[in-house]
Amino acid sequence: MDDARGSHLSVLIDLSPTQWHNSAQGPPRNTYPLPLNSFLSQLLAFLNSHIASKHENTLAVFGAFPGKSVMLYSTIDPTNHDQAIDANSYPPFRLVDSTIVTRITEELEALGEPEEEAPSSLVSALIKALCYVNRVTLPSVSTTNNPADGHDPAILPDPRILVLSVSPDLSTSYIPIMNAIFSAQKLKVTIDVCQIYGPDTIFLQQAAHLTGGSYIFLERRDALLQYLIMSFLSPPSIRKILSVPTQDKVDFRAACFCHKNIVDIGFVCSVCLSIFCQPVPVCSTCRTKFPMKTLQRLNASRPLLSSSTSNASRTSPSTPQARTPTALGADTGASTTNGARSSTAPLGGLPHSGSIGNGTPRAANINGSRPGPEAR
Amino acid sequence: MPPRRDNDKFIQADSDSDISVDDEDFSKSHKGKGKADVRRKRDVKGKGKAKDTQSYTWEASYTRSWETVQEDEAGSLQSSVDDWMARGRRRRLLEPSTAIRRTIIRHLILLLDLSTSMMDRDMRPTRFDLMLQVVREFVAEWFDQNPLGQIGVVGMRAGIGERIGEMSGNPQEVLKCIADRHKLEPTGEPSLQNSIEMARSSMSHLPTHSSREIIIIFGSLTTCDPGNIHETLDACVKAKIRISVVALAAEMKICRDLCDKTGGQFGVALNEGHFRDLLFELIPPPAQQAVSRGASRATNPSADLMMMGFPTRLPDTSPPSLCVCHSEVKSEGFLCPRCLAKVCDVPTDCDICGLMIVSSPHLARSYHHLFPVRAYDAVLSADEAASNSCHGCFRPFPPPPTGTTTTSEGLSPLGRYRCPDCKNDFCSECDVFVHDVIHCCPGCGQ
Repeated sequence: MDDARGSHLSVLIDLSPTQWHNSAQGPPRNTYPLPLNSFLSQLLAFLNSHIASKHENTLAVFGAFPGKSVMLYSTIDPTNHDQAIDANSYPPFRLVDSTIVTRITEELEALGEPEEEAPSSLVSALIKALCYVNRVTLPSVSTTNNPADGHDPAILPDPRILVLSVSPDLSTSYIPIMNAIFSAQKLKVTIDVCQIYGPDTIFLQQAAHLTGGSYIFLERRDALLQYLIMSFLSPPSIRKILSVPTQDKVDFRAACFCHKNIVDIGFVCSVCLSIFCQPVPVCSTCRTKFPMKTLQRLNASRPLLSSSTSNASRTSPSTPQARTPTALGADTGASTTNGARSSTAPLGGLPHSGSIGNGTPRAANINGSRPGPEAR
Repeated sequence: MPPRRDNDKFIQADSDSDISVDDEDFSKSHKGKGKADVRRKRDVKGKGKAKDTQSYTWEASYTRSWETVQEDEAGSLQSSVDDWMARGRRRRLLEPSTAIRRTIIRHLILLLDLSTSMMDRDMRPTRFDLMLQVVREFVAEWFDQNPLGQIGVVGMRAGIGERIGEMSGNPQEVLKCIADRHKLEPTGEPSLQNSIEMARSSMSHLPTHSSREIIIIFGSLTTCDPGNIHETLDACVKAKIRISVVALAAEMKICRDLCDKTGGQFGVALNEGHFRDLLFELIPPPAQQAVSRGASRATNPSADLMMMGFPTRLPDTSPPSLCVCHSEVKSEGFLCPRCLAKVCDVPTDCDICGLMIVSSPHLARSYHHLFPVRAYDAVLSADEAASNSCHGCFRPFPPPPTGTTTTSEGLSPLGRYRCPDCKNDFCSECDVFVHDVIHCCPGCGQ
């Protein structure tokens, strides 16, 4: 609980028109429809309460549009909007609200009607938010060149980033997201994620987990404001006391480099650590040739693995939720039955040779313990 | 780690040689002139040195780093800072873009001597304070070069081994456990055997792919052991644990034996700088270890394709179940993706199916080496200017400077740097931040 210092909040809004259109659909599709305008009014109430909770609090809002990301509002760069004096509203709130709404309208109109919508550039917005945090936390030389900047560089706001995502995972963005996560760790930035619409995103789950933030999958989407205020309003320093809802389950799967599939069992080059979804003779990243023996060994166990990886990639959006009950249920059973089996498997030997040895029992095991996604 | 010039080391040696006095006068008379002067002066100095002191080559390596920083006409250091940044940019351009070979997973236990002998003041300020300071730098650098590695910390004091930090892959956690000086206050005698045993037991669960290493920083000349330390040594050899010792006092037979038999390095620090160098030599992954280990299973020992599983982490709130590694009832844990067995910690080998389980962030930590961001080009002329704020942090660009400013190569007079791929302009802070920290261009990022 840092007394005199405010906290900095960067909010990333995923503004993919298709996803928001889907989100606004009525009951047959969604139990709780949430159109963009009602989302925005709830978000603005949240942003206002962030500004109101402490005078020193700073705010930056980024929008991720298809193929483009922009900064919508920032406390540091004041936009000189002509403000009509309104006796019924508090000027700072009004400034935030009007700036954000105007900018979003401008950007959405500028989008036009493309035939195919580019995926939302959430990663680019995330990287820009990190650049921005780097700028506000770093007492830089250039702030002296900027007289409009009333910000005192000595104050280091407690920075955090809130990602409001509506899009599913984009496997091409795996490496940039990972890079962003590690730089957030270096900058000590907390990344909070609220998945408002669409399936769980495993990359953002990892982002929240690795930076100590919370990931919330919105179930009652009509209660967005309550979720936001309960979980994301408090700065990280006092969250321990408030016991903010933390992550349910983190999926540590990765995207392979060859087909951008999301895999749970991958083949990894020992030189450059590239991940492949199937055994390859030559690493596509570092051009290393792998020994034939390894390839033959891995290919021997391949049929079962390819089925399991394609299985995972096909059901990837729903897998995290779908697997929860089965995984937990199967866990104790699997460990006990396998405990007996492992005595026959070579113990303490090389793991690869061991893995050939018990190839068949494993196949039975996977088929036996994974009916979850299929049954669904 | 670039080779370090150790100034402190040579100051005393140099101050009583008459050459250095001449030199000082020489440089004083030229102080405060332009940059060109500095460069010329350095040349002259170098030549003079080579002529005068051919017999003392060690003196020639000594440069006064503070003299390379020059004030400009206005008395500000800005130009020097800019120059320094430009040099950094150029160095980046020269870096090869090939992939770097790394050992897959390293596990290291740091054994810190916390006995009373560490309070000796033969190294400044004390051996203990110096050790903490150098170890902090070491940890940061080590994690930078070994992204998949993990470090645990064990202290030797009052005759026992004391676990100071659990094995962790997060540099912040490791640094936190050695941050508090008062918790590590040295007392009593050290015990090599107790602490090596503790380190060995905490590495017993590790997967066979990983290297197991112990680095001992030893300031004492005695060890106070409950049993025969040679048995511990044999156990370490059997477990393929590599022990390296950096001694602060003098060579001990047992320390030398520990290193020789396990394939580690042994060194006695002569002074503060040498201590640092000895420790930092241990940062790069051990080469011969990888060869000897890989040779048994593959024809090409340095490259192999490995099957790895990426687990799912269960939260603290999940229903408790038994883990396969300790058979304890626990809520949290990781699920093996192949057999769905629950293990307590990653990276590890699954006890049931033998699959190597790593969390994908561990792998991803080194990807920026594979896909580096292309160096940004400095924007030189004002008419190219497109946007009026930085594309990364939205900082407004300063107005174009009036009059001619002398700029060095690789530095933009407008403070703009353009990505060759997405053609967006960035400020110099973002340029440095993108290339050094994020490794991902905000404009090109999808």
